[in-house]
Amino acid sequence: MTRDLWKHLILILGALIVIAPFYMMVSYSFKSPGEIDRGEGGFFGRQEMMVDERCVKLRDPDRDDVAVAALRFPNQTDSEIRDALVAEAVADCQMRPIVFNYTKAFTEAPLLRYLLNGVIVTASIFLIQIMVALPAAYALAKLKFWGREAVFSLVLFCLLIPVHAIALPLYIMLAKVGLTNTYAALVVPWTISVFGIFLMRQFFMTVPDDLIDAARMDGMGELAIVWRVMLPTAIPALLAFAIFSIVAHWNDYFWPRIVVTGNRDLFTPPLGLREFKGDGDGSFFGPMMATATVIVTPLIVAFLVAQRRFIEGITLSGMK
Amino acid sequence: MTIADTHTPEIVYSDTAQRRTAWWLVAPALGLMVLILMVPVVIAGILSFTDYSLGNDSFNWVGTKNYDRLFSRSTYEKMFIATFTYVVTVVPLSVGLGLGAALLINSMGRIGDIYKTIYFLPVMATLLAMAIAWEFMLHPSIGMINRTLEMSCGTVLEIIPFLENGCAERFPLWLGDRDYAIRVICFIGVWQGFGFNMVLYLAGLTGVHRELYHAAEMDGAKSVWERFRLVTWPALGPTTVFVVTISCIRAFQVFDTIEAFWPQGGGPNKSTYVMMFAIFEKGLQQNLIGIGSAITVLFLVFVMFLTLIQRWLVERKVHY
Amino acid sequence: MADLQIDHVTKTFGDTQVLKGISLDIGDGEFVSLVGPSGCGKSTLLRIIAGLESQSSGAIRILGQDVSGVRAADRNLSMVFQSYALYPHLTVAENISVPLKMRELSSVQRLPMIGPFMPGARDKNAEIAASVKHAAQTLEIDRLLDRKPGQLSGGQRQRVALGRALVREPAAFLLDEPLSNLDAKLRVQTRTEIAELHRRLGATFVYVTHDQVEAMTMSSRIAVMMGGEILQCDAPDEVYNNPLDIRVAEFIGSPKINILPVEASNGVLRFGDVVLPTAAPKVLKGPIRIGLRPEALRLVVEDAVLTGKVVHMENLGSEIFAQISLAGHEGRITMRAAPAQRSSLYIGANIGLAFEGSAALLFDPYGKRVFNSQVAPAQSEVA
Repeated sequence: MTRDLWKHLILILGALIVIAPFYMMVSYSFKSPGEIDRGEGGFFGRQEMMVDERCVKLRDPDRDDVAVAALRFPNQTDSEIRDALVAEAVADCQMRPIVFNYTKAFTEAPLLRYLLNGVIVTASIFLIQIMVALPAAYALAKLKFWGREAVFSLVLFCLLIPVHAIALPLYIMLAKVGLTNTYAALVVPWTISVFGIFLMRQFFMTVPDDLIDAARMDGMGELAIVWRVMLPTAIPALLAFAIFSIVAHWNDYFWPRIVVTGNRDLFTPPLGLREFKGDGDGSFFGPMMATATVIVTPLIVAFLVAQRRFIEGITLSGMK
Repeated sequence: MTIADTHTPEIVYSDTAQRRTAWWLVAPALGLMVLILMVPVVIAGILSFTDYSLGNDSFNWVGTKNYDRLFSRSTYEKMFIATFTYVVTVVPLSVGLGLGAALLINSMGRIGDIYKTIYFLPVMATLLAMAIAWEFMLHPSIGMINRTLEMSCGTVLEIIPFLENGCAERFPLWLGDRDYAIRVICFIGVWQGFGFNMVLYLAGLTGVHRELYHAAEMDGAKSVWERFRLVTWPALGPTTVFVVTISCIRAFQVFDTIEAFWPQGGGPNKSTYVMMFAIFEKGLQQNLIGIGSAITVLFLVFVMFLTLIQRWLVERKVHY
Repeated sequence: MADLQIDHVTKTFGDTQVLKGISLDIGDGEFVSLVGPSGCGKSTLLRIIAGLESQSSGAIRILGQDVSGVRAADRNLSMVFQSYALYPHLTVAENISVPLKMRELSSVQRLPMIGPFMPGARDKNAEIAASVKHAAQTLEIDRLLDRKPGQLSGGQRQRVALGRALVREPAAFLLDEPLSNLDAKLRVQTRTEIAELHRRLGATFVYVTHDQVEAMTMSSRIAVMMGGEILQCDAPDEVYNNPLDIRVAEFIGSPKINILPVEASNGVLRFGDVVLPTAAPKVLKGPIRIGLRPEALRLVVEDAVLTGKVVHMENLGSEIFAQISLAGHEGRITMRAAPAQRSSLYIGANIGLAFEGSAALLFDPYGKRVFNSQVAPAQSEVA
């Protein structure tokens, strides 16, 4: 049917545009500087041995090296010995582009450290968000107390305030207590997720009251009820929220950029990438793309593996 | 006979007990909401009337001078133009493409899942990383885009004026060009965001009653457009309101691409000097907290206004 | 000429054949019910007539023309859906006007904001509004024209669906279990109204239902469908009194007809040891079944044909249905008695029953009806 054909054509065109930068990014992370400049080599690059110029420069022989090497090269002039040493350096500094790019990505800047920071920050944020939001959502959904409506109205009001929007005053507050350039600064402003409270409350409201009363009869305190009774029922919503939170904070560039200015050790992955871009020259494009690929891959792989969950999650949070 | 209980499980759950526990459960969230969300808004409001700089011990009240500046200086005029151009371009395009993709994919069955996955990838990928990939693709000489465009020189495609000019003189510098810079940013914004909207629309489409399409057929609605107008579009009302609001709020917060491409200055002739970047530059880089706060306040006003309109629309128009 | 002709229509879904060769001629102005248990294919058949689904083989003819390739929108038929399928965002008036707008107005005149200002649109819209008003008045929903479906009750929504169907004056109306979402009382009332509507309009109605009471009370003809086939299509009286298949006999009539296994031999029928007052064709031999309606059984004191014990009673006020366990028979039979006979009928009472010989319906081992005055067809000869 030609109708179907048109649909596929349009969608394929769209898919090509969507995938283009991914393709480029991964492809360049495989290629040598020369190949990048000239735009050749197909997807994987030709993987010919290339010379790492910096490595060669590092091994640039000075007088002492020449003197030492004279023993190995008898009957040669100084300049000949120099040339030989340089040739050795060049030979030693040869490697395949993909190796070059990826090792540079991890050695030029402490990428592993940055990834670890990403994990620490993202996990901390999510866990604290849960610890703060779940009890509050439970109280708002199931407990009767004077002021409940007021608190919920406050929640609704706070939904209007994106944290990025108030970055400036938050930064000032943090600066005043000397907390800039710390993990705390990266994590604390995100610990309150009004959206999370809202989402969980909607879910909790669907839990039958009898279940809670039964738990009370069994002697459970309210906090125990939150973790032992409500949490298990809301796993789908929690999963949705987890996805939402983890993706947002792993990819967040704005807030870390503001709050981590001096201390390299605290860089999150996007900051690490930015640093690479900042001081790299043209020939470092390969390693930069390798870094980018490393940063982007975890979430993409997780997404591809658990697609259904991700999309359900986004949908769920959206609909509520 | 009394039931002797040496320990006191709260089997009888009095109102006061419930109330007390509820407040305990809500307290952390409440405290954080006030501290992290509301106090900064107030601080921004107050500081917007001063000339405070971080590190100073005191500051002066300057009345509405900051706001006057915002509405008179040409820099800020460019800020408003850049921001609004971005929002007004990106939101309709990303919503429209999201809807279009959802409609096409929805009519396809299982095969559509592949497209759905592909179109959702940009949402998951770290924007900074992808922005850098796009930047390289847009490089005037070695970038893939201009290279591809150059391939059309000397072919029949030169009829198109854009290609004709490009082949004759030079293809645009993209990120260095005053007119194209903002368009490139918009393009990347749409590229990154439409997948999210697509997923929300796909969810919305599953909620449309299939029999309505049969009724429409019996009533004489023969074309795809008629069916869309009569059944699909009205059914997607709530989804559309939500999608548009979320897209607007995200569009206002654009920052990553701009800071990555033009770390200083906000684009060629400030054509991409969006509000978030202005806050960053003025408030944090230049330490002009007063004016930074003023921009923050305006930003919050816009966002709140948008969200309130959404709520109002949902209450009124989309009510069956 | 028949208004609507269904000609050897079959429909297969994957491996299952849902319709096994349906043929039916529906005349102008008839009210034909397609009735049968769930899954018998009646809704599928209706959708095939409408054009919402296509048949695997066979033809549908409307006014003599084969409409097999014609899409539903062009077949000039109206359908009332089980879920009503009203457009939730349009008012009642707008809902009812949709079919007219689609057909009368050009696409330019239908554009959202500016359409009504196009040349010629004003007059057409006025005509349409008048037709809508008329339809609404016929169905007594003219007070509701400005409401949206979400603000209506089930019964009101159903009328809007009817209004949308009749405003166009189509060649035939197709109704897919329109009453099944209403509560019992409303169902009875609406039944009458639909029947009266049919009389008033004089249009052809094809009505699908699983409720045989609806079919019996409203139709000029009933088509009993089971397992993808039409077992019998006749006027309600005929279907009730003269079922051609035992399945039809069991489906139509409430309470269910009594089926008894009997032995046929040489023109005589025996139920156990008892000889029944019904004559049988001489060619009939061996075990067959007879059907007896509850109202055919009479309480007798002497000369009883069947004897048994009352095990259950349902007193409906105007009549009593007693369930009797017969001696030498596993199942129960149901008889209808007048309230005056209540004294003789109590749980545990031993009673005798008799019936007119001609009231018994004979069915061969294949379930096909055997007629006394005719020689039984060859297939009933089971040695």
